Amino acid sequence: MSRPDLRRPETALPAVALAITLIGFALVPTYSDATLSSFDVQSALQILARLGPLALALGLTMIVGEFDLSVVGTYALGGMLTVQLGQEHVAYGVLAALLAGAAIGLLHGGLIGGLKLPSMPVTLATYIALLGLTSALSGGLTKSYTNAEVTLWVDRTVMTYFSPRSLITIGLFLMAAVLLGATRWGRELRAVGGDRRAARAAGVNVDRLLVGTFVASGMLSALGGALLSLSLGSANPDPGVQPLILAAAGALLGGMSLAGGRGGPIGLLAGISAVALLAQIATLTALPGYVTQLFYAGLLAIIVAVDAPDLHHTLTRIRTRIRTQDVRSRAVHES
Amino acid sequence: MNVLTAHRGPTTVPHVTRRSATDLVTSALVIGAVVAVVVIGLSTPRFMTLDNAKAIITSASLVGIAALGLTLIMVGGSAVSLAISPTVAAVGMVFLSTQSLGLLPALAVALVAGALLTGLQGAIVGYAAANPVVLTIAASFAISGLATGISGGTSVSPDGTGYDLLNATPGGIPLCVYVLVALTALVEWVLRCTAFGRSLYLVGENRPAARAAGLLVGRTTTVAWLAAGALFAVTAAFTAAFNTSANVNLGGTLTFDAIAAVLAGGTAIAGGRGSAVRTLAGALLIAAVSDILLLRGYSTGVQVMVKGLIVLFVVVIVHLRTKERHA
Repeated sequence: MSRPDLRRPETALPAVALAITLIGFALVPTYSDATLSSFDVQSALQILARLGPLALALGLTMIVGEFDLSVVGTYALGGMLTVQLGQEHVAYGVLAALLAGAAIGLLHGGLIGGLKLPSMPVTLATYIALLGLTSALSGGLTKSYTNAEVTLWVDRTVMTYFSPRSLITIGLFLMAAVLLGATRWGRELRAVGGDRRAARAAGVNVDRLLVGTFVASGMLSALGGALLSLSLGSANPDPGVQPLILAAAGALLGGMSLAGGRGGPIGLLAGISAVALLAQIATLTALPGYVTQLFYAGLLAIIVAVDAPDLHHTLTRIRTRIRTQDVRSRAVHES
Repeated sequence: MNVLTAHRGPTTVPHVTRRSATDLVTSALVIGAVVAVVVIGLSTPRFMTLDNAKAIITSASLVGIAALGLTLIMVGGSAVSLAISPTVAAVGMVFLSTQSLGLLPALAVALVAGALLTGLQGAIVGYAAANPVVLTIAASFAISGLATGISGGTSVSPDGTGYDLLNATPGGIPLCVYVLVALTALVEWVLRCTAFGRSLYLVGENRPAARAAGLLVGRTTTVAWLAAGALFAVTAAFTAAFNTSANVNLGGTLTFDAIAAVLAGGTAIAGGRGSAVRTLAGALLIAAVSDILLLRGYSTGVQVMVKGLIVLFVVVIVHLRTKERHA
């Protein structure tokens, strides 16, 4: 792996985002009545555990220049399968969720890598279908998980700040970082995202890499859903758009680009940690739900607008127009 | 790299004989699917009744009007808006809360609100080429947040009865069906016969080429989204009038229904092709399929799942056939 260079956006953005939110978090007692304790750090890490697998799933597809909209659908299905099939033994449920995630990933990979379909419409269709399937499986109702031992175990406090759930999540990121850093997969993924045709010409097996990425994305989303259901002790057939928004904001803050070919797991971890800290700050300062909702929406909209390819072009044109008018009016004044 | 358009690698040039084979297979699949829907429909009890036909066209009309708006967005190459449901909910709340002004002023306020909410997103997509899918996800969250904040999370009840005129059923058919037919004709005319319509197709087909040719890409896209927002507002007014109260959940699954209708009509999500009449057909197909599932006693979940699978099926078929034509 090359040495991180702070001048590059994929390093600078996550570093700055994490630094700002960390300072904001540490200063909470100065601008609100709330006090900080180790429990708040643990809560922030629990939010990280909730969003992390989803952000990693989305982020991996963003590196190769695709966008897996269906992650929340797979997340909902994974949670539901874990609850419904894991009543007897938790392993059956989690295994079913992982298998379903892998199957969904294979379908995506086959259509997107094999048949060369664009990822957005395909994953939009499967997102709708998966939400429907999850709701059909549960009759549209929230299903509860009766094995309280497991529920207590996943959120047990470990080393003051952690829980098995947050440690698993951080472990997933570290595993991804090692895999992508130590093997040529990391470089190949970025090559596929940067210029697919050039990557193919350079001998990268693009199709197999795309299938692998989507399988990983499906399994991570399903695992994220499974962990969340075990922690809540229930599974909700419709998680809404909030998880997708927070995961997308985390991935973009983590140095990913919708254009592809940029970013890595460590930046992603920093980006989603920043989002988790923001969520914890919102909880600590007791902001009304709709205010945080507006804040997240605004944050994502700003990142997307800044990431937009033609923004620079349009701004330049407006600036040129203003300058020309300036020059003209000055010329009129002087004459 | 654009996640909305297909990547044409060196392996995508099909052989001449394989080309006609793909064509044959996709045609057979489409005909098979349509025959299957017809057969299942005919064998479903109470499907072939006048009342049921009315139910289908009524549910198709509310989705259809919003889908016409989405057609403009998709033809212009900005893919989809995922903010249709919250926009309809917010505009429905505005419509009912302004009933004291009278029906027509309330309608005008609703149309302007819908156009502005959606047009703002369109301006960002049009001028900056922001990713419309992610942007509208953010917008959907922002709009429902705003609606919750302003209404305090409660339902809006109208202080007037002017809205009831929208529930009229002249000739035994709901007013919204007539409105759908009229708006389909209007949108079709705009797309085919006006300079705006033609430039919208060009922008959707190839944005850089349209810009190079001197078309006002940003303005064309923004106007398409403004019009789409006004069409969402029409759906909102009818939906709110039908429910006689409105809260943040008024939109229901409308976003997915409208996307399913437009795509089932065969409009390409990458832009540059599609028509209002195709969308009308798509809306009728989706409404008929939902109706069959409902009559056969399937849950909402199954209905949503089938819509998703139809969209997937159509996306794959349209892609295979388009690749053909380009090859």
